[in-house]
Amino acid sequence: VESKDGRSLLLEREIRPVLFDTTQLALERAIGGAAQRHAALAANLANVNTPGYQRVDVDFQSALRGALAGGPEAVEHTTFATQRDATAVTRADGNSVDADAESAKLAANALEQQAAVSVAHTRIAILRSAMGVS
Amino acid sequence: MGMFDAMEISASGLTAERMRMDVVAQNLANAQTTRGVDGQPYRRKEVVLAERGGEGTFGAALAGAMSSGTKTTSSSGTSGALGGVEVAAIAEDQTPLKQVYDPGHPDADANGYVQMPNVDSVAEMVDLISAQRAYEANVTAMQAAKQMFAKTLELLR
Repeated sequence: VESKDGRSLLLEREIRPVLFDTTQLALERAIGGAAQRHAALAANLANVNTPGYQRVDVDFQSALRGALAGGPEAVEHTTFATQRDATAVTRADGNSVDADAESAKLAANALEQQAAVSVAHTRIAILRSAMGVS
Repeated sequence: MGMFDAMEISASGLTAERMRMDVVAQNLANAQTTRGVDGQPYRRKEVVLAERGGEGTFGAALAGAMSSGTKTTSSSGTSGALGGVEVAAIAEDQTPLKQVYDPGHPDADANGYVQMPNVDSVAEMVDLISAQRAYEANVTAMQAAKQMFAKTLELLR
């Protein structure tokens, strides 16, 4: 559609159909982030008896919160870093994994992921209902 | 970052802890063995665990091959891929063997002392419990991963 005045261009941009809004994109990234964090926590539990092992973690919530301020593009391209946790208490053998704490984090992370999936699923169901497809 | 990384990592933990249990069982079974495979009294074995990088796994190799042709857009923000744990070695415990006075024993020396393995069954039992608990933790992590993946697949329904 050709238009020379700025107003109709603006209008065109506003009515551009957006199927997946920022919230939906953020939910999808959160699901991915939770999966990545789960891998990190699983690696910690696998290395619970490895001398010198420093635990790893993924702070995907903070990265996502930062990206949410930058709009849908920023959210869609957010990546999460798996980082060594230097603050954890280290045992005598140089290992900083506490199996109980890791298990608790693992359970909380799984619930968080399932909550995100539930919300994303419901939003897709609403979208489907609005589109008239069952 | 594949979907089943978490399960592969947990599986590596299961393998490592099972190996620890096997070695504990071997130590307990040979707690009184005065003739090992080398003819010497049995020495306590110990599993040496090491963190495994993500480079050597099948998933990492596949991801590398897949991304070499196409450009990667997202979710590759890992600093050092995770690969779980591996058994680096099974080392022999070099602490001195126990000396037991038993002149009637066929392996007794001139003074009547027999060299017995340096296996402490109490320490072995503690190792066994530790390995068992760590195994359970890995199983729990794997079950959680399974639930998460199953839940994610619900998005398709």
